Amino acid sequence: MSKGFASSYRTGLIAFSLLASFAGVGGRLVWLHVIARDELLRSVAKVRSRFDAETARRGDIVDARDRILATSRSLFVVNVDPSWLREKDETKWSQLAALLGRPLPEVRKILTTKFREPAPANPAAAASTAARPADLVFNLPPSTAAAGVATGSPEPAGAVDPTLAELDAANREPADEPADDTGDEATPDQTGRIPIQWAKLADDIPESVMSEIDRLGIRGVYGTRSYRRTYPHNQLAAHIVGFVNKAQHPIAGLERYADFYLRGHDGWREGERDGRSRELAQFRTREVPPADGYNVKLSINANVQDIIEQELAAIVERYQPLKATIIVSDPRDGFVLGLANYPTFNPNDYNKVPRDEMSRFKNIAVTDIYDPGSVFKIVPASGALEDGLVTPDTVFDCSLEKIEYQGLTRKLPAEDHHFGNLTVAEIIAHSSNRGAAQLAMRLGDERFFAYARAFGFGQVTGLPGGYEEAGIMRPPAKWDSLTITRMPMGQGLSVTPMQMHQAMSVIASGGLLLRPQVVRRISDVSNEMVSDFYRVAVRRVVSERTARTMARLLARVATKDGTAPEAAIPGYEVAGKTGTAQKYIDGKPSTTHHVASFIGFFPASNPQVAISVIVDDADAHAPGGIAYGAKVAAPSFKHIGEQLITYLDIKAGAPAPAGPALVWEGGRR
Amino acid sequence: MKTSDTHAFVNQLLVCLLVTLGCTGSVGMGIVWMRHQISVTANTDRILAARLVEIERRCDETKALVAAEQDPDVLRRRNAEWHLGFVPVSDQQVVRFTQDPVQELAARRNADLFTNDRARPVVSFQVAQRN
Repeated sequence: MSKGFASSYRTGLIAFSLLASFAGVGGRLVWLHVIARDELLRSVAKVRSRFDAETARRGDIVDARDRILATSRSLFVVNVDPSWLREKDETKWSQLAALLGRPLPEVRKILTTKFREPAPANPAAAASTAARPADLVFNLPPSTAAAGVATGSPEPAGAVDPTLAELDAANREPADEPADDTGDEATPDQTGRIPIQWAKLADDIPESVMSEIDRLGIRGVYGTRSYRRTYPHNQLAAHIVGFVNKAQHPIAGLERYADFYLRGHDGWREGERDGRSRELAQFRTREVPPADGYNVKLSINANVQDIIEQELAAIVERYQPLKATIIVSDPRDGFVLGLANYPTFNPNDYNKVPRDEMSRFKNIAVTDIYDPGSVFKIVPASGALEDGLVTPDTVFDCSLEKIEYQGLTRKLPAEDHHFGNLTVAEIIAHSSNRGAAQLAMRLGDERFFAYARAFGFGQVTGLPGGYEEAGIMRPPAKWDSLTITRMPMGQGLSVTPMQMHQAMSVIASGGLLLRPQVVRRISDVSNEMVSDFYRVAVRRVVSERTARTMARLLARVATKDGTAPEAAIPGYEVAGKTGTAQKYIDGKPSTTHHVASFIGFFPASNPQVAISVIVDDADAHAPGGIAYGAKVAAPSFKHIGEQLITYLDIKAGAPAPAGPALVWEGGRR
Repeated sequence: MKTSDTHAFVNQLLVCLLVTLGCTGSVGMGIVWMRHQISVTANTDRILAARLVEIERRCDETKALVAAEQDPDVLRRRNAEWHLGFVPVSDQQVVRFTQDPVQELAARRNADLFTNDRARPVVSFQVAQRN
């Protein structure tokens, strides 16, 4: 190296400077990474750490043909931090108000309110008067109470039916979110006012509108995403589907029953953010992705459901009943195709149901009980036939007013018409009360009761979707001397519409008691099967032969010789039974209040659909002032049946499928 | 040219320092570039994931809107508003076919072929004459 390159003084200085720089940098690094490490990490973690929760999407509920009955929509709550607003954005406030659908003065007031007045001096006292714990008011189950869906009520605990109380709690909006918040770190200014860090501008804003709001670029205005449950078909199958309240808690129906599958699991993400609060994706430390809820496929067919709801609406318009239920199911597997109740509700507007009409939420097909009336005659007739005590041609004297049974003379019930000698087939066709009583007496107390239990009365059916009533049926030990004469005609016991439908389906299914079901399948988001549901036979009630005989006898009911020619469908053999049960008003049977019903199935030789039409208290507008099952319910059965024939492609008199058949498959050369 | 040992050492130290500086700088710049690329990739990945989720959300939104439009009440209203005149199918309009449709169609198509009471179609050929 030449000597002229640099003087030794300068060279030394440069070398020293460089060394000093390296030493300085090194020292600083040691300071930052070793000595002050913990303190610096704490401050960094405080400032830069970011935790994001990711909400799982609740699964859909779809019908048998994959039409959506309940789904989740992504909506936004639009918030504002008034302290972040810029003056230059004020010109965009009118556009913002228009997008939010709120008057400009209201929006302006929220945007310009930057401080909140200090809280009252004794907030604990104020809070205690403003709200009371939900479980003290309604004695709600812990889950509902914890959900915070109930608000105060003037009624004391126990004053409301527990089921209704729960629904009532759900019907109330969750405690209103505050319109603004001061944030955890807000400190009062010199005058004691607290700066508002966020205020709610609007909620339920669709994604497309939120995009437009974002495009306005108003600093301080931002959206928070949330999912809202929506029911595209409104009140269609409302009692089966149920609903989820605004706080996303399932309240009724399958929303509640299948919540475990529907709800999914929220995810979360932990990481760091930059100076503008944007996530630094490269510094994600832990991440649990959200698991969306499973989809639940029902056996309910939206078109069948619509058919019965239309018919229900027609019944309501014509007869203005107190309530009514229509159930349609496939008797071969027990799956429900449609279930409609009146009164009903729209799950999208569940919170608009008035408090005195809370009973609209009840699925009265399983929660309400009624005296079944003559439809119950299928039980003594089937039992007597099954035990070989009678044949369809066995004759009974139905003109008797009294009969001796177990050493006592019993008074037989009155008949609507005078009958003489009737065969068992005629007893069913003409719906003879005295004939049914004698059939039950032929069976005896215990056997008759055992058959009634075997048909499913006095037990819950197991229909998924919520609370179910077991009905009232006293054992023989608690019967009085008249019970054996009254119960066979459907008096002295109470059943739910679903129980009666299930019992009639025993005849249609060939003697098997099948559990009514509505869930067909549970699948994940990629439509992979999680669980499938199949026919569940609870027990065999009567033999296939007896069931076929009963179907043949019931087919006479819907003929000119029977009590309900109104139910006949031309070209099809309809089997069914009418029921006209007196209601008990003030503890006495009323002659002006009845429950009219027609429950049946068709084609009788190869049942493909079972239909129940039950109308409560339609007497005021019924012909003759009495709501007979044949006049009020049977025509609806026929009308529904005619529509189902074309929709479900039900063929008249098609022979029942034989046992296993050899199937030839493959192409032909 | 002769240089003193001190000068040689300082010069070598200087060169070494400069080389170290260059190497360290290069490595440092490389690390910074790499971290930047990691950051860019992670960010792109995040944006794409968010975009996918958004598309799925919009699909669900559209499905919900389609489902709402398929509501029987809405369809009935549209039918009335647009004077479409659709009515439910009644059983009278349905002709039920119990036989094998292939056999039935074949029989119908070939019904005329082997009947005696119908004049058979005359087939004529023109034959060219040779002179």
